[in-house]
Amino acid sequence: MNSGRPGMVNKFKEGGPFKGTSFSDLLAGLIYVLIAASVLVFILWPSITIIVKSVYYDGQFTLVEYIKLFTQNKQLLLNSIFVSVVSTVLAVAIGLFVALFISHSQNRGKRLTFAVLLLTMISPPFVSALSYIMLFGRRGIITYYLMGLTVNPYGWHGVVIMQALSHASLAALIILGVLRGIDKSLEQASLDLGADSLKTLLKISIPLAKPGVIAAALIAFIQSLADFGTPAIIGGNFSVLATEAYMNVIGMYNLPRAAAMGTLLMIPALLMFIIYRRTVENSKYFSLRVSTESPLKLSRGVNYSLALITISFISFQLIQYITILWGAFAKTWGVDFSFSLRHIQAVEASRLAAFGRSLEYALIAALVGTLLGMIIAYMIERKKFPGYRILDFLVTLPYMIPGPFLGIAYVLAFHNKPLILTGTAFIVVVNCIYRQLPISTRAGTAVLTQLNPETEYSARDLGASEITVFKDIILPSLKPAFLLGFVNTFTTTMTTIGAIIFLVVPGAEVATVQMFTTIKTGQIGVSTVLANMIILVTLAINLVFSYFILRSPKYGGSEKREGAYVPAIDGIK
Amino acid sequence: MVMKQKLLAMLMILFFVFSLAGCAGSSDDDQPAPEEKIAADLAGTTLKVFAAYDGKDEIFQAFEADTGIKVEYLDMSSGEVLARIRAEQGKPLGDIWFGGGVDSFIAAQIDGLLESYLSAGAEFVPAQYKDPDGYWTGISLVTVSLIVNTDRCAELGMEVPQTWQDLLKPEFKGEILMPNPAISGTAYTILSGILQTMGEEEGWAYMDQLNAQIPYYAKRGGEPPQKAALGEVAVGLAPDTGEELKADGYPIVSVFPRDGTPWWPAPVAILKGAENLEGAKVFVDWCLSEKGQQILRDNCARVPAREGIELPECLSEIKDAELQDIDFVAAGNARDGLVEQWQTRYGQ
Repeated sequence: MNSGRPGMVNKFKEGGPFKGTSFSDLLAGLIYVLIAASVLVFILWPSITIIVKSVYYDGQFTLVEYIKLFTQNKQLLLNSIFVSVVSTVLAVAIGLFVALFISHSQNRGKRLTFAVLLLTMISPPFVSALSYIMLFGRRGIITYYLMGLTVNPYGWHGVVIMQALSHASLAALIILGVLRGIDKSLEQASLDLGADSLKTLLKISIPLAKPGVIAAALIAFIQSLADFGTPAIIGGNFSVLATEAYMNVIGMYNLPRAAAMGTLLMIPALLMFIIYRRTVENSKYFSLRVSTESPLKLSRGVNYSLALITISFISFQLIQYITILWGAFAKTWGVDFSFSLRHIQAVEASRLAAFGRSLEYALIAALVGTLLGMIIAYMIERKKFPGYRILDFLVTLPYMIPGPFLGIAYVLAFHNKPLILTGTAFIVVVNCIYRQLPISTRAGTAVLTQLNPETEYSARDLGASEITVFKDIILPSLKPAFLLGFVNTFTTTMTTIGAIIFLVVPGAEVATVQMFTTIKTGQIGVSTVLANMIILVTLAINLVFSYFILRSPKYGGSEKREGAYVPAIDGIK
Repeated sequence: MVMKQKLLAMLMILFFVFSLAGCAGSSDDDQPAPEEKIAADLAGTTLKVFAAYDGKDEIFQAFEADTGIKVEYLDMSSGEVLARIRAEQGKPLGDIWFGGGVDSFIAAQIDGLLESYLSAGAEFVPAQYKDPDGYWTGISLVTVSLIVNTDRCAELGMEVPQTWQDLLKPEFKGEILMPNPAISGTAYTILSGILQTMGEEEGWAYMDQLNAQIPYYAKRGGEPPQKAALGEVAVGLAPDTGEELKADGYPIVSVFPRDGTPWWPAPVAILKGAENLEGAKVFVDWCLSEKGQQILRDNCARVPAREGIELPECLSEIKDAELQDIDFVAAGNARDGLVEQWQTRYGQ
């Protein structure tokens, strides 16, 4: 604890069993093998079972569902791609501007912006769509009450706006993680050679952030392809493949067709993945020194533009959350907006058990899943063992499959011998971990691609074991990625329902299932209360966690305080 | 056809009797009939239930108080339950399926996913509300109503619509919301009810006209009444009378279409492979018992399936409505074809 690099936990450093021995490297090898095997078991195997459902049923092999899809439902695929492309471009653009605002501008309110980004990661499905209707519907606060309009908010435009906004936060955080890590001396060099700040930003900073931008684009694109909820609620007559697939499972009971639709969604996702891989492999900018402050002094125009975009984005998001908050306290939304506590009083104490369960699942999933993601990122980026590209693809796969499918795939894969795991809390948590693995892995690889491996080689040459290298060199650089992975996994486990509904057993209900039930029965007030509870708890945990992770030792990380963060992490398990 | 008419007549008489009984009020409410004999060794066991029913908490607490069997439940729509138990292939992680759309139960029965159990209480449930072999038994009737926003109607200068024909008035264009029949039992019941009562040709002609009034088809059953409450549309079709929304203070009324109210029995069924099979049987017995039926009714306002149980107050208007004469088994079998046909007509 006393020596070592800042912000590190050096449990095994002195005289530990892993010090540079070949045993330690053996252990590292074993960990890699186990992790790769777990990816095969918890990602590849369920994915295969669901894909098989699309071509093999009623005892024979057939491609009839695919033929039907291409002859009758081509429009759905085109709709999916159209919406995903537009919302991805928007989300990444907004995300890039907001990230640049936080990392490079001289404006105030960067910390606040970061906190709001963490907040806007949390958008419980259906609730944000509900708030969209509360705001912009035919009787929406803004459109009807303020502007006197009766507009039709349903259609592809609503879907694009909602998806872009909800994916922009994640995109901003991913890009920010990379921007923070770029070598600021390159910017300095550019300035010294006579380029102005805008030119430096465009020619040096943004190109250096390319791995982050492309990773954000990949995630936003896939997420929007697989999103069935948003088009279902505000798409109106406009439908996409994921929504139709969901309806085929739940409504038409036609699993083969749904599975075919789900498989078809993987084609554009795969194309995007190939573009991503190419870009990442071609980015070879390494930073030698990591400093947090950029030497750039942006011109007023650039500064104000960044601020304007960020403020618009943030206010738009905040209005949504204020609406949800207001919904919990308004006597009757849409009729009587006066203050009332009756919805809060209507929430029974019995719901707390589900809340506790959600918290427990989410914390375990977030800690384990993120660590796993970091190790996998290291395996993919640094070890480059045979088949690492396949591993990279497999890790991305769960995101390409719409949530309910992954849930059913898990039931199909783990309900029978040799692996009977259904009915346990374990499988619920495992599902949450592996479903969110793409984010932490992607964030991790994005950071690692711009980190010069020289430091690691030197450490190895000096006798450090592989585990020490990972622990003392890789992990500290991965802090922003670790934070992002944690926040994302924690948040999604707290808020999503798609896959979980098929895996939880009666009596082990989680908070979102309850919230969803109240939405189904039309209790707008009570469901917004539950949504607010979920949002507040999630935000609190995310903020506390970011505080501990991001607190740089430079700013008062004394020995004592550093020690305090170790039990804090152990304590919340 | 004669058979059907007979059933309809029986049904009408039944409701008449119910409502009379309702008006008269009953005096022997205080003495619950001790008709369940619960084996002592079942007390303390746990029953796992997939449920789609309002007032579950209260209902299951009452059941536990009566029998000592603890209920753990998970709220799932019938489509989700069906998808799940199909994937679980006869080894379900639940014992009981409680409430939902009868078409899902029929589909599960065809797949051999349900356990047959003829409860003693099923005798008092009219034949049209249950499966003759006891694979599922209706516990209550879900009735479709129009949830009408009175403010919006006033804005449009319209009276509250009372019939299916009223919905076709030009003023209601874009003001009527119903779910997609592919995803919603409510909407499918409306579709098959209209086709069965009006006949194929006239029925589809009506659906064509209704389709012109509907801005889009909702993909969740709960959406239309919610949108009607918020004033996004004037009329939302719903499988209940929107009591929660009314209690919240929304300017809505519910109307049973006078020219034919679609309805279906919400069943209870034991899942094949249930771990606590004996407990599950006790549960089915309890649901169909006089006392169980009263508790169900008091916590979820629906027409009780068992004869001789009073109607809940908010459904008293049902006696003025004409319930559609629907053959559920036929409707269940025709489902794939009808939904497909519907999709090609209006789905794209």
